[in-house]
Amino acid sequence: MESAIKTVVTTFLSSARGKESLDTKSFQKLVQKQLGGVMEDTSSSSAIKEMQQGLDENSDGKVSFQEYLQLIGYIANSLSQSKSGSKENAS
Amino acid sequence: MPSDLETAMELLIVVFHRYASKDEHAGTLSRRELRQLMENELSNFLKSQKDPGAIDKIMKDLDANGDGQVDFEEFVSLVVGLSVACEQCYKMHKGLKTKK
Repeated sequence: MESAIKTVVTTFLSSARGKESLDTKSFQKLVQKQLGGVMEDTSSSSAIKEMQQGLDENSDGKVSFQEYLQLIGYIANSLSQSKSGSKENAS
Repeated sequence: MPSDLETAMELLIVVFHRYASKDEHAGTLSRRELRQLMENELSNFLKSQKDPGAIDKIMKDLDANGDGQVDFEEFVSLVVGLSVACEQCYKMHKGLKTKK
């Protein structure tokens, strides 16, 4: 589990390329590359843009680490719900 | 093929449910289940926490609705907290390196 947390952090850091937050382009790249399997519409750049605006709490046009974690938390929650709904035993 | 990030999220979910399903409240972690999860899955973190009451404090913090159980949403806060700490650590580490 520690390695999963590390992946979540390093994915953000490598996408941000040393900057504090993700700009539109790098966010788009991250979503397309990393979240294509769990989200719909990742091929549509306008859908990603909409999602980015939804995440952008301080409206600075970028996605900070905190805002990124909100997205991760949200996706994890919905995945978990669909999982426990289908009673799948993944272990 | 799932990406790294998808695999990581999947793992968090699987780990949560593996521990959560150990008692009659299958969808949530009791105090005991949380302790087991942290001792087995977050042992490095727990080692750095010298405070023996750490788990109790974490449990109290996580249990936002006060029902004595940690649901997945509350568990995500723990992951987020650890991720933030991990990121700050990483930044500090990088900051030290560039200073040298």
